[in-house]
Amino acid sequence: MSRHLRILIAALGGEGGGVLAGWIADAAVAEGFMAQRTSIPGVAQRTGATTYYIEIMDRAEGQSAVMALSPCPGEVDLVVASELLEATRVVHGGFVTQDRTTVISSTQRVFTIQERMAMGDGRADVQQMRGVVERFARQATFADFGAIAASASCHVNSVLLGAISLLLPMQPDSLRAAIRRDGRAVDANLRGFDLGRNVVTQASPGPVAPGTPDRPLRALPPVGLEDLLEGLPSGIHATVSEGIHRLVDFQDEALARSFVQKILRFVSLPNADDELLNELARHLAVRMSSEDTIRVAQLKLRDERLLRLAREAKARDGDIVEVTEFLKPGPEELLSVLPLWIGRPLLVASQRLRLSSLSFPLKIRTSGIFGFLLLKMLAAMKPWRPKSLRAIQEAAWVDEWLTLVEASLAVDPAAALQLIETASLVRGYGDTWKRGHASWRCITDDVVQPMLSGRLPRQHFADALLQARLAAQADPEGHRLNDLVKSLKSLAA
Amino acid sequence: MAEVSFAREIESLKLGSGQIFHGEGIMAVTKALLQSGVAYVGGYQGAPVSHLLDVMIEAQDQLSDLGIHVESCTNEAAAAAMLGASINYPLRGVVTWKSIVGTNVAADALSNLASPGVLGGALIVVGEDYGEGASVIQERTHAFALKSSLWLLDPRPDLTTIVRMVEKSFELSEASNTPVIMELRIRACHVFGSFEAKDNVAATWSAANPIDKPADFQYMRLSHPPVTFVQEADKIQRRLPAAQKFIVDQKLNEIVGPEQHELGIIVQGGLFNALNGRLETAGLSDGFARANIPVLVLNVTHPLAPSQITGFCAGKKSVLIVEEGHPEFIEQAVGQILRRADIQTRLFGKDVLPSAGEYSPMVMARGLSAFLAANDQSSEKLDGWIASTDAHLREVRQASAPPPPRLPGFCTGCPERPVFSAMKLLRQESGPVHVAADIGCHAFATFAPFDQGNSILGYGMSLASAAAVAGTQKQRPVSVMGDGGFWHNGLLTGVAGAVLNKQDSVLVVMNNGYSSATGAQDLPSSAPNPHGRGKGVDIEKTLRGMGVTSVTRVRSYGVSKVRSALRKALGATTKGLKVIIADGECQLARQRRVRPLEAKAVASGTRVVRSRFWVDPEVCTGDHSCMRLSGCPSLTIKPNEDPLRRDPVAHVQSDCVGCGLCGEVSHAAQLCPSFAQIDVIQNPSVLDRLRRNAALAVRRWLSPAHQGPDA
Repeated sequence: MSRHLRILIAALGGEGGGVLAGWIADAAVAEGFMAQRTSIPGVAQRTGATTYYIEIMDRAEGQSAVMALSPCPGEVDLVVASELLEATRVVHGGFVTQDRTTVISSTQRVFTIQERMAMGDGRADVQQMRGVVERFARQATFADFGAIAASASCHVNSVLLGAISLLLPMQPDSLRAAIRRDGRAVDANLRGFDLGRNVVTQASPGPVAPGTPDRPLRALPPVGLEDLLEGLPSGIHATVSEGIHRLVDFQDEALARSFVQKILRFVSLPNADDELLNELARHLAVRMSSEDTIRVAQLKLRDERLLRLAREAKARDGDIVEVTEFLKPGPEELLSVLPLWIGRPLLVASQRLRLSSLSFPLKIRTSGIFGFLLLKMLAAMKPWRPKSLRAIQEAAWVDEWLTLVEASLAVDPAAALQLIETASLVRGYGDTWKRGHASWRCITDDVVQPMLSGRLPRQHFADALLQARLAAQADPEGHRLNDLVKSLKSLAA
Repeated sequence: MAEVSFAREIESLKLGSGQIFHGEGIMAVTKALLQSGVAYVGGYQGAPVSHLLDVMIEAQDQLSDLGIHVESCTNEAAAAAMLGASINYPLRGVVTWKSIVGTNVAADALSNLASPGVLGGALIVVGEDYGEGASVIQERTHAFALKSSLWLLDPRPDLTTIVRMVEKSFELSEASNTPVIMELRIRACHVFGSFEAKDNVAATWSAANPIDKPADFQYMRLSHPPVTFVQEADKIQRRLPAAQKFIVDQKLNEIVGPEQHELGIIVQGGLFNALNGRLETAGLSDGFARANIPVLVLNVTHPLAPSQITGFCAGKKSVLIVEEGHPEFIEQAVGQILRRADIQTRLFGKDVLPSAGEYSPMVMARGLSAFLAANDQSSEKLDGWIASTDAHLREVRQASAPPPPRLPGFCTGCPERPVFSAMKLLRQESGPVHVAADIGCHAFATFAPFDQGNSILGYGMSLASAAAVAGTQKQRPVSVMGDGGFWHNGLLTGVAGAVLNKQDSVLVVMNNGYSSATGAQDLPSSAPNPHGRGKGVDIEKTLRGMGVTSVTRVRSYGVSKVRSALRKALGATTKGLKVIIADGECQLARQRRVRPLEAKAVASGTRVVRSRFWVDPEVCTGDHSCMRLSGCPSLTIKPNEDPLRRDPVAHVQSDCVGCGLCGEVSHAAQLCPSFAQIDVIQNPSVLDRLRRNAALAVRRWLSPAHQGPDA
């Protein structure tokens, strides 16, 4: 029985999938097999999804084979994917079947524009994607081939070639020879090939689950503030500790104490379980350290930041790294750091004079003396921050939010949890901050209040809040949220 | 110089008799042209046939002994008209383009070429951009062949067959005085295989050996009345039978399988491999096409030879026509042939196969299964395969939702993206405008995150397509056109028309310096360089010379400036055409040009500044407004490092080319303070070091608790 191997490569334009297909077919021909490869490049090469298809057959004297130009569902032996979503696309094409298909896929994600554009977290579920490949494949091997390639400064296609080399009928040296014949970046590609061969023989590391933070919560508060955890259930200690660290860094111990006081108010309430308290503490810490102008200056002045920048920009020893910040504060950002008594009248005046849209594009070189001093001056305003217009506005928002959470908790704990989550809508700068506030106001006025007062049917409280939060994040124009509110109003009528 | 370098391919084009050529389908066609003694080559670039012209341009010096005259035509009409050389002279010529669109543009010249016919063999190689991966309207080139009496080849996708068909095309063209079209589908153009080469043949008359005197005056060679009537009759009475005889005598079509069988299949050559795969599934063929059912493989799909069709069908109960696309021209022709010959073979075709869409393995299998079932010869194997594949696909769909599409988009650092960021910002500011889109990379702006464009009417047609919109709408429309479209058609069809008719609208010309979507070929306005064809023709001067008075030039990356230029043009009180030229070199081409120079400079110790952008992960709050105004592949998301926050934050990958859009957008839209530009100064000067040391000293003095970076 003659061998007939069918290989489908799924890649993104510009990743070198065509070169990979070339190496395979070239090595096959060099070893005396018949091989044919084809592709759908063209305009898809501009960052879009693309595939390459190869058939390899034993040579039969005097016969010329008729090989397919397109892969056929159920008739693919090997699938190679440089990206996880692309592996699932191949599964959805029907090309991965339990009887014959081995899948070698990178766990690397190249996010689609829809995933990137989402107003919150629009990422597809990595575990689910992996699961669907594993379920339909005869055998599936995953590794972050992109990271392996990056660590060795070579292209991902050479690492993939190494990874599949054990499954090909050609000798590894034939594949190496194909890389040499191709002549492009030979040393790097040979390095990648050998790395790829090792990967498959070892256990494949799992990808990072979405939403899992890089840095774990700190289990204990800063030294000297351990007493702050007294009276809190142990299940929320880590979150609260992290919050205390954050607020001490942001402002001072007093703010951290105020943070813990606010949580303590909820601990004794009957419906407040650890899940709810954790989420409350998490959002509260973030909201109490809201990103005002002083905070931005604080963050941008950190020494670790410059080191990290130099590292990520791959600066070599002896290179000088300059950093230029792109800032564009408007009247709101500038006036909000002033004390309430002067900031508010000036803000009202600027709005009356229609200066809100006025803003000042600044390019500040923080690695230089002037830029550094400017940010240092802003950061030095920290002691006065609690009296600033922005801090007072934020504190008022936090109070209102907590009051509503408390009221909702008495009625429906699930709804209270959803209400806590709405805090994530309020964030950012400039228009984003204004839009977030407007959405939140819309939700409290048209969903929360009517529910609490009984004008809307309370059995839908939690669901309505969830829907409203998702709608607020569906489009920046707020169309979905408006539609939802309208339909809720008709429910009340 | 084009995007791809063909140094290796050029070597394979020089192979001689008996050597084995390994390469891509379209390169095999190119080699076959050289083996056929062509005197001239022309065309207009476009996937999947761009490489034919690109390689011929790059190889001109190395193939100079063949004396082939090569032109990169400004559009397909020019390419088709170029074949006019074969009307009067015994010159073999070939032109190439992407079909259906290119054939549409060429249609006028094609009709005028086909009417008098040709003396020298004339071949048109078209990329039949149909099915998966296609980027144009789904129509058939076949219609043009029928209406103009051009012969159409659709060879089996096997390099030996393709090469033979190219060679035979010239003979067929000369035997019947008719131009020939060869259509190659996308995958056939890109299929890599091998064939046994022959020596290249130099044409008798060529650039190396020019014809010494012009042709005599012969009215029969003009497509002009009264001879057009004679030519019409000649096509039918003389050229058609001559072609049919040649096709049969030279066995251009192939018959595989047994002679006697009550069933048969007639298939377009280009679809044969797909058909054979399903015959294999049904147990009716194998990997070497040793079929148990007769198959007539039409490498020539027009004209059909009635004797061959009747010969194949006679004595068969039923015949299936496997013909992709709509209308079913071959099926109609076969039906007519059978009726005229009073042959009672039952005809199957579009009743069991779909009229629209590519004949994928599954589609082919269903059609074949229905045909066999209707003739009581159902294949259990085939039907079992269909059922199990269906069940499998159902199971997959139940297990998970289909993945979101991943459409092509602007490259990292593309100079066209910022213009669309500006347009989106302006739309947020003053509401929607009618946008007439065009063909080119800029058509990616119809996808997320820009989602704009009201119509696309063809290459370089945007401004013309806005003519009546401008005349019937309060708000001025905006037409977008690339420099490629501008020189292809837009200058005359759009700009001249707008000037003549005082069209009150705005035109944005993306001047990125190349025909980028097709592989960075040179245009008249491309910068002159020793390896290219660019002539540095100034688009602004061209426009002014045509009578356009309002021309504004902006650097495309300056989002605020582009937005204010657009705002001004849309709000201007004076009527008439307002053109904004957005200058910014194609980043792919620029990187190819600049990178080696930079590496060289760094190695030689010259001061080089490399820039890229960066997002402060702590400052970013994860709203992603920046992505909604950019869509740059390099600007993506990563998990939030902050353990108290969940949403992913913006992140600039290391492949950032520092085009500056991120900074421009964060300024133009007043986004957020997360963006920073990093400039890495390689081989810094003494002054750089002094400045850095002074800044570090100040930093250390004011933050004594911390250790500053030493870099």
